[in-house]
Amino acid sequence: MSTIRERSPAAYLLALPAALWMTAAVVVPSMLILWVSFWGGRRFTWENHLVLDNYARFFRNETYVGLIGETALQAAKIMAITGVLGYCIAYFLAVMVTRNSVRLTLFLILVIPFWTSAVIRSIAWIPFLGVNGVINQALMFLGLTDAPVEIFLYSRTGISMAQVSLYTLLAAGPVVYMLRNVPNQLREAAMCLKAPPIVVFWRIVFPLTLPGVIIGQVLVFLNVMADFATVAAIGGNKQALLGNLVLLFYDSGQLRYAAVVGVMLMLSMLVGVVVALRVVDIRRLGE
Amino acid sequence: MHWQTRARLTKWILGAVTIGFLAYQWLPILTLSVLSFSGPDGGTTFPMNSVSLHWYRELLFASALSDFKPPIGRSLALALACSVTTAVLALAAVQAMRARFRGYNIFFYLILLGIMAPGLLVGFGVAIVARIMDWQLSLWTSAYLVHVAWTLPFGFLTLLAVFNRFDRKLEEAALTLGANRWTAFRRVTFPLVLPGIIGAALFGFTLSYDEFARSLFTTGINLTLPLSVLAQFDRQLTPTLYAIGTATTFFSLLAVGCSAMLILLVRRLTRGSVR
Amino acid sequence: MNGTEAAAAPLDLEIRSIRKLYGDFVAVNDVSLSVSRGQFVCLLGPSGCGKTTTLRSVAGLEAIDSGDILIAGKSVADLPPWRRDISMMFQDFALFPHMTIARQVGFGLEMLKWPKARIGPRVQEVLQSFEIAHLAERKPATLSGGQRQRVALARALITSPRILLLDEPIGSLDYSLRETVMLELKQVQRQLGISFIWVTHDQNEAFSLGDRVVVMNHARIEQQGTPDEILSRPRTPFVAGFIQGNNVFEGTVEGVQGSTLTLNTKSGPVHASLDGMPAPAVGQRATVSVRAEHLKFGPTAAENQLAGTCEAIEFFGSLRRYVLRLPSGQQLKIDQFGAEPARTTVGATTELSWRVGDTVLHTQPGGPA
Repeated sequence: MSTIRERSPAAYLLALPAALWMTAAVVVPSMLILWVSFWGGRRFTWENHLVLDNYARFFRNETYVGLIGETALQAAKIMAITGVLGYCIAYFLAVMVTRNSVRLTLFLILVIPFWTSAVIRSIAWIPFLGVNGVINQALMFLGLTDAPVEIFLYSRTGISMAQVSLYTLLAAGPVVYMLRNVPNQLREAAMCLKAPPIVVFWRIVFPLTLPGVIIGQVLVFLNVMADFATVAAIGGNKQALLGNLVLLFYDSGQLRYAAVVGVMLMLSMLVGVVVALRVVDIRRLGE
Repeated sequence: MHWQTRARLTKWILGAVTIGFLAYQWLPILTLSVLSFSGPDGGTTFPMNSVSLHWYRELLFASALSDFKPPIGRSLALALACSVTTAVLALAAVQAMRARFRGYNIFFYLILLGIMAPGLLVGFGVAIVARIMDWQLSLWTSAYLVHVAWTLPFGFLTLLAVFNRFDRKLEEAALTLGANRWTAFRRVTFPLVLPGIIGAALFGFTLSYDEFARSLFTTGINLTLPLSVLAQFDRQLTPTLYAIGTATTFFSLLAVGCSAMLILLVRRLTRGSVR
Repeated sequence: MNGTEAAAAPLDLEIRSIRKLYGDFVAVNDVSLSVSRGQFVCLLGPSGCGKTTTLRSVAGLEAIDSGDILIAGKSVADLPPWRRDISMMFQDFALFPHMTIARQVGFGLEMLKWPKARIGPRVQEVLQSFEIAHLAERKPATLSGGQRQRVALARALITSPRILLLDEPIGSLDYSLRETVMLELKQVQRQLGISFIWVTHDQNEAFSLGDRVVVMNHARIEQQGTPDEILSRPRTPFVAGFIQGNNVFEGTVEGVQGSTLTLNTKSGPVHASLDGMPAPAVGQRATVSVRAEHLKFGPTAAENQLAGTCEAIEFFGSLRRYVLRLPSGQQLKIDQFGAEPARTTVGATTELSWRVGDTVLHTQPGGPA
């Protein structure tokens, strides 16, 4: 018994505003992108014929097709880095820190930047990465290099550095949650069954936190795939990923091609999410 | 090596990784803040020429082109609207979920879609809708719609977690004591989940206030703060940007801090009146 | 094993005055214990008395601050849990939620690097002997409490450890199941000849299972001995108070005659047997106790005589327990077989008596041992 009856009709009324809102703001626009990507004709109206020309043009351009692979590669790279880094951080916070106050403090220091602007955080990397930036000054001070290194700003390296700092939290958060739910007794039981710590980790702890790892990886994957702001801020106009291509076409008024790239983005993300959802049930996270 | 010594070594290594990452995450933000206080002829990187509030003064008395005051106002207003909308819609949605109505599974994924769907595509999609229907993009129509679709799922998940940990027996007790469902919700459920509601509203506020990708396609001519920051960044990088970055980061932290205080206060109040 | 070692017959477990601190809190203080081959030892005490910490120290899950622990004659104080010849059963069984029962039970053998081809049949064999072979492919979440308990036991015993450590192993089972499970566990222990060290706060468990019972309180061992010794001769006021069915008297020593001590209590003089213990000085505070079943109704030839008012009559299984209030305000418990006719009614005043030989003198805290 609770303040709402099982299968109460009132539930539909309560759910309706949120459902309508999400449909209008997310589902319909996504469908429209798909629709528009097939539009032929010259004018921008819903009376257009549906054709495959837009896709044909996209796939004829090797640069564009290559961009899908490059974007996926960038996502894979960031997923690998944030996955390992995030797991280490999560393990330290959830398992190794025994004082609750210390854990909360460290966790807040980790989470607070999430509540600030990603644009500002991207821009904040500029004074670090530039030719006269902090990193180069530090390298020269340490005598590791004579002249400034130019590989940081306007480069993939710089973009990756910023993205790692932006997205590691996404990889770590779900793992912290899962780790907190692994009873210490399981570790002890395994040790008493003659398993040394490294085996305890791989056979007991890691499998039990795998859903958290996967959810974290999905979040990082989705964010990197669609990230164009970090790429634009740090890569300038010298670096582009799939997301930037959408913006490029949109700004130049080629909405059909923007839509095609959007569909490509959607498809690759969908594949990622479907694969992940087959492995874990997100709804059980709150239990 | 004794096994516990080795365990302690692992702890030190992981601790060093964690602290290292925290430093890595915070150093740019802190550098930005430090550089925002450089002198009038200060550059955008070290060394700092002198210490002054010059760039903050620039912010306050800026020319029309680089005046950040109107965007700040717009962003604040939109964020406030999003936070209220998020709290209300999320509460209704979670209460509905608890009834396990037919199709609640699909409803759950529909809301989660808001987190999964990238801002770039959602914003672009809404822009296309407006284009086809010949609607004008504006802050209070398209941008508001898209922003709430982004903040609502976070508020929803927050409240879902709160309700999952919530002890149903408390409601049952109220109902067996003769309260009707609405009274029980108002007098028992609501005060107990109020911290969660504040949390949902906080998500609504900060996520909207800092949103960039969705705003880019949907705000039309009246830019929000992150948009005008990036526009200014594209024109020229000056320490004014550092000043505005420092100021809004500080403001975000202030909002988080206030919400945390509010949550603690509510907790103390409900505990105090219940016991 | 050569002849001399066999003759020495090393103890399964020897704990030599171990001490464990958590900051300023002393969790285990100067605890020593010897367990010979195939013994069933129960650590009994209230929660927080240090019994679980002692057990976990034997397992290696807690590092001791001083003292030594020997398993089969060899010091293991510096060895991690996975190098000690022990197994452990946890209160909530600590089954691995992601492993099937067969995998779970075979885990210990995998860790011992058994070849896969031998693990499978051995697991089947063990599952069969515990009558859980039909659960082999299930996951723990789908099992009942009793089934989980069997899986946990099978998992712990499959490696044939020297000692099995059990931390309140039936505490999370339904009350109705406990007695059956206790019997089964005792049988398994006898058959395998493995030493069991069983931690519990339930004295029924301890007395019906243990070859030896170790009563702990405030991080120390209060008394250890056979169940009979502890029941009939509690050696400290704590043990007398903790074990059900004791009447404890406190007072000052009035005199000692031969092997009989006279104690002046608020309820009147009580005579107790010294039973080989050094006599305390006259005027010293002392406590004695007598078991409820040794009290008899009516005046008899017995040396101790008191009178009181019956306040309540309760039934404990086959026992009838009378609760009497003495004029001094002290409560006394008297047990009688339920089959015998009732000797008094609630509200009636009655006389009672007991023999000096049934009255046990305690070692006083801080006094001579």
